[in-house]
This record gives sequence, C-alpha cells and structure tokens, in this order.
Amino acid sequence: MTAQQPVVLAEMPSLSKLYVNAAAQAARRRLLGAHDSSVLPAESHEVRGVTVGVENLTAYQHLIGETASDVLPAGFIHAIAFPLAMSVMNRDDFPLPLLGMIHLGNSVEQKSPLVFTDVLDVTARVENLRGHRAGTQVNVVAEVRRAGSSDVHWRGVSTYLAKGVFLPGIDKPTAVPPKADFTAPDPTALWHLGVDTGRAYAAVSGDFNPIHLSVLSAKALGMRRSIAHGMYLASRALADVGPARGDSFRWDVAFEAPVFLPSRVALEIGTEQSGSGAWKHSSFVAWSPRSGRRHFSGTVSAL
Amino acid sequence: MSTEGQSISAGGSARPAVPVPRRAVIVGGNRIPFARAGGAYAKSSNQDMLTAALDGLIARFGLQDERIGQVAAGAVLKHSRDFNLTREAVLGSALSAETPVYDLQQACATGLETVVGLANKIKLGQIDSAIAGGVDSASDAPVVVSEGLRDAILDLHRAKTLPQRLQILSRLRPKDLAPVAPGTAEPRTGLTMGEHQALTTAQWKITREAQDELALNSHRNLAAAYDAGFFDDLMTPYRGLTRDANMRADTSLEKLASLKPVFGRSLGADATMTAGNSTPLTDGASTVLLASDEWADARDLPKLAAVVDAEAAAVDFVHGKDGLLMAPVFAVPRLLARQNLTLADFDYFEIHEAFAATVLSTLAAWEDDEFCRTRLGLDSALGSIDRSRLNVNGSSLAAGHPFAATGGRIVGTLAKMLHAKAASTGRPARGLVSVCAAGGQGVVAILESL
Repeated sequence: MTAQQPVVLAEMPSLSKLYVNAAAQAARRRLLGAHDSSVLPAESHEVRGVTVGVENLTAYQHLIGETASDVLPAGFIHAIAFPLAMSVMNRDDFPLPLLGMIHLGNSVEQKSPLVFTDVLDVTARVENLRGHRAGTQVNVVAEVRRAGSSDVHWRGVSTYLAKGVFLPGIDKPTAVPPKADFTAPDPTALWHLGVDTGRAYAAVSGDFNPIHLSVLSAKALGMRRSIAHGMYLASRALADVGPARGDSFRWDVAFEAPVFLPSRVALEIGTEQSGSGAWKHSSFVAWSPRSGRRHFSGTVSAL
Repeated sequence: MSTEGQSISAGGSARPAVPVPRRAVIVGGNRIPFARAGGAYAKSSNQDMLTAALDGLIARFGLQDERIGQVAAGAVLKHSRDFNLTREAVLGSALSAETPVYDLQQACATGLETVVGLANKIKLGQIDSAIAGGVDSASDAPVVVSEGLRDAILDLHRAKTLPQRLQILSRLRPKDLAPVAPGTAEPRTGLTMGEHQALTTAQWKITREAQDELALNSHRNLAAAYDAGFFDDLMTPYRGLTRDANMRADTSLEKLASLKPVFGRSLGADATMTAGNSTPLTDGASTVLLASDEWADARDLPKLAAVVDAEAAAVDFVHGKDGLLMAPVFAVPRLLARQNLTLADFDYFEIHEAFAATVLSTLAAWEDDEFCRTRLGLDSALGSIDRSRLNVNGSSLAAGHPFAATGGRIVGTLAKMLHAKAASTGRPARGLVSVCAAGGQGVVAILESL
C-alpha cells in the first residue's frame, strides 16, 4: 500500500447511479476500445460518519435468520460498505469492466462487534490484480472503523473475476488447480428459496443488480434466470452456524455454481470443538439436491 | 461420531433420588378415539375435543362440580386466540368453575410433561388432585396471514393520516393475500421431521423390513386390545367414532411393503420410510386423573399406578450431532441411574412411535457399545429390551398421533396395564414411557403399579 491520501466522498454513493454509470462506461469502452492499463488505482475511497437505519437492520436480520440483536451482522456491514467498494471499481482508471464481474469469494475478519448506534468510517480500495485461467481477478478491500478511531473492527476482502478479460503483463496461471470431486454429504439443513429471494435481499442490502431481481431483468443481462446474491447465501450460512461463533471471528466463503431462483439448496454445517468443548471452527458447504453440484463452501473460525 | 457425550453424571442429573414427601397416583385416563386429519373431527376445534375428553373423565370418576387442584393441558398447533385453551375447556365442562388451570406447550412431549409437572405438585403437597391432558387438531389448524399482510395491517394501525394509510396499502402485492398454513419443518434446519428421521434411520442402518414389522405389530396389538375390550374404560366415543380411525386391523407385511418411500428420497437407496411406517396427521384429545392417596381414597376411586420419576433431555440436532428425535436415548440412562434400575427391571416399554424408525433407532443406540460408552458415558451398552414388552397394546403408528394428546394416551394405557399385571402376578409391575419431540427434545418417565 502506498500512503496516499484517500478520496473522501461526502456521502455513501448511490448503487443505482453506479450501475447506470457502469453500463455507460461499458458502452463507451466498447466504442472507444478498452484502455490497456494493467495498473490498479492506488487511491482508496472513504466515507465518514455513516449511520445505520435500525429498521433496515431489523429487516436484514429477519431475512437472513439472525436474531435481531443490536450487533451488526458481518454480512450487513459488507452491504453497508458495498457501494463504496463499487465506486472504486467504477473509476475511469480501474482497468476492468465492472459489469459482469463474477464474485468468486469473500474473506471477512470481524475483529470486535459493532452496534447499530455506532457511527462508522468506511474505506475501500482495490489490490492484487492477477491472472485467472478464465480472465483477470482483483481483490476489493473494505475496512470499517468507529468514527475517528484508527482501529479496524471489520475488514472484508472480496475477490472478483472479469471473465474473458486479459490485460497486458498479467499472465494466466499455467497450472490449473485440479478440481476436487464433490460428493454430497448428508444435509443438516434445507433452504427453500422462492423466486423473490433476490428482490427480498435487494430490499435489505440495497444491491438492486438486475441479475438478482427477476427472470426478465436477468435475461436482459444474458442470464437464463435470476440468481441469488452470493452474500445472501453466505450470510445465511453464517447465521446458521449460530451463536457459537461469538463476537469476533473470521468468515471465508468461496462461490462456485450460481443458485438460480427458485430452488432448493441443501447444506451441511459441521462444528469442530476443542477437547474442553469450546468452539474452534465451523465449516459449511451448500449444493443442489437435484444436480448434486456444489454452490458454495466456507468456514467460520475463531480469531 | 463425536466423543463428547452427555455424561449421565453431568449437571447433577444422576444425583440419587431424593425421597419425596408423598406419592402421586394415577386414578385413570380418558380420551376420545383419534381421527385421521380431515376425518370425523374435521370441524371440531381443539377446545371441543379437549372438553369431550374431559367430560368423559368427569363422568367416569364422578367429578361433577369438583374443584380439582389444578388442570394442565396444551396443544401444539394452537391459535393465538386459544391462549387459555384449557381454562376455556374447563369452564365448558362439569368441573367446578373454581378449578385453576394452566396451558403448557412442549411439542409432542406436551401431554407427558403435564403429567410430570402435576404429579410433582401432588408429591410436594401443593395440590391433592389434578387432571393432565393434551389435544391437537391437524384438520382445524390455525392458518395465518402472510408476513407482508401482517406487517401492513400492524402499520395501518399505527398510521395517522390518509396518505400514510394509502402508502401502506400500496405495498401489498397479490401474493401477500395468500394464507400461510403451519408446516412441520424445523425452523433452524428447514428439514421436516420425516427428513430428519430419515437421516437418523440411515445412520443407524434401520431396514425397511424392520420398520414395516414394527408398524404391523402396532396395528395388530391395537386391534387385539380393542377386541379384548381393553379401551372400554379409557375412551369416550365422539362424533361417531368408537375406535381410532387410523387403525388397519387387516394390514399385512405385503401391503406395507407395497408403499413407496416418502421421506429421505434424496438419500437414494436408503429411503425406507413410508406412509405405512410413519404416523399420519391426526386429531384427538386425552386426559389423565392424578391424585394423592388420601384424595383418591376419600372418594373411593381406583389407584392404578404411581408416577415414580421423570427426566427431560435435549440433543444438539441443528448441525447433525444427534438425530432430531433421539433425546430420549439420553434421558433414559440418566433416569435409570437415578432410580438404580436397568432395562431388565421393566415389565412394559411405551416408546412413542413418531416413526417406526424412531423406536428402532432408539433401541439400536442403546444396544451400541461404542455409542453408549462415548456418548452416554456408560461402561458398556445400555442393553436390549424384550420386544414382547414393547407397545403391547399398540402405539402411535396404529392409533395416530395428535401431538399433545399422545402423552395422555400412553400414560392412561400404561397405568391400566401395570395395574392388571400386578393383579395377575401378585408382584409390582413397572413401566417406562419415552416420548420424543420437535426441537430435539424428549421426556421419559417411570410408572409403577399400585
């Protein structure tokens, strides 16, 4: 990281404007040609004094299956920081096309709990542009502090793939990692996801990406049906892990096959305890009971 | 399998039995025949059925105008307007209106827990008489409005201006107007009780044949008990029914074997649970009269059996550490240790047949040396039971299972069996009751003949 001053935005950017802007940028780049830069913007973006609407928090908690406590769920904080992360990827000097990027994975460190009355400073930056066998991937790092404090309470690293985009000077990995065979274990839970799952999560997270909203809006973007938000799935799995995880934990998820809506998703959640019975970590894996394909997997572990 | 057990000595549960001040005795039971959902009781409410069972008990034991120490009953599928279900049933019965009452809800263990709680009050001298019971209607189940409509109705109440009200109404979508019926899925897993049991069934390698055989025995035993007149003083006819409508006296292993699996089909070859070896949704009610010796003697009432002791347990089923319906597996060894008994000390076992496989998984766990050592904290397997002593007058597979009514059915039945056994052999008889419940819970109890 360079010690560059952040770009401080006056308020949290609007996601819908960012999506429109991204579409315009995609059209512009198609006409004028993509710029061949392989350098990420070094500047981070920051919004200070962010507050949380308690009604929105409660609706999020009920949808995800978290108890409606005063503590902000780790996935909720991701949703708060998401527009800022998008604004960095929406910059003109960001070398990858924002629209159509695929969310590959997420790593969150919830170092200590934040509650809904906390006033938050949120920063976001991009880093680690690197090759992928199918394109180019990049990490978006978001950090959340209490206003005026330097202690990071929450850090999330999201990995996105620009499929089919290859930038000069960035090599594809030569060795393709072998794909592990997946055999579905006995499920410990079964989710029944209705066709409105994407709209319901959009309403509490603010992420109205058309691929999640309806069959028609998804088809307009080349999908055969709408798909569930990755962070909806990951946040529900985190909620299903339950209170054993405590207030500070690390939460990792890797996304594989998208969940087309409506559908049923089977899950296995396993817990490992120490000899004294204390919680060490939980793992989760989700698959389609119909096809047996794995949708996503991850872990929640003590920090 | 994990090595963390629910040690029988953990939490003080295996402390030696504390001497109790006095006994709680079972005078008798009364229930209405159980109907299949949508059958003879389709239009009867929980309150109707509980009152019918209660009135039969009152008539049988001459309790008109009697002020009972306390009545406790409950229903699992219960409408919010029925917050005082049991009190309303008592007010509609021939009991004194000065009889105090409470409602209780513990899923399928509701009925047995009312017996245990009231027996404890009698033992402590707080009351001298009690009626325990339970009722459930799967036909007349409460149907609620969608969350969207509920939210809008509540917000409309709070709205102050017309524009606010219009804005709230504009939120409603056609799908918000669809009613929502209660489901049988566990809230934390989304799996139905049958799907949960299917996992346990596969884990304990319970065969289709063994399940069908247990179901067949349940029907045969229940039919034989009816033919022998066993239920004549345990039942009040209702709405034209004189026998449990689910009972199939003429079923056979061939008929049971012809049914297709309904649970655990995602487990492929392991799917063994059918409509024949699972309990159907049922309507019905049951009651049990409990008393102190003095109260029963003063009224010249029979004393069939004593409620000796009981134990509740719960398992961590949410992430599959144990099966949803396996809590009694943990409760029974703790109860036996406290009473210094073994499985060989019982004349009768009443293990509630939620599914045939539930009973068989429970027995398999008690016969498994490693499971009993690592999970139950025992030195070796708890042991086998003599199958000829299991559910000898039929159980839920044949009679049906109106959730909260099952505990009262079992206690009334077992108390009568123990009394008859002791009368014929001249020595005390002992019975074990085991009821599993949703939420990974279970309640077990010991009854002894008088």
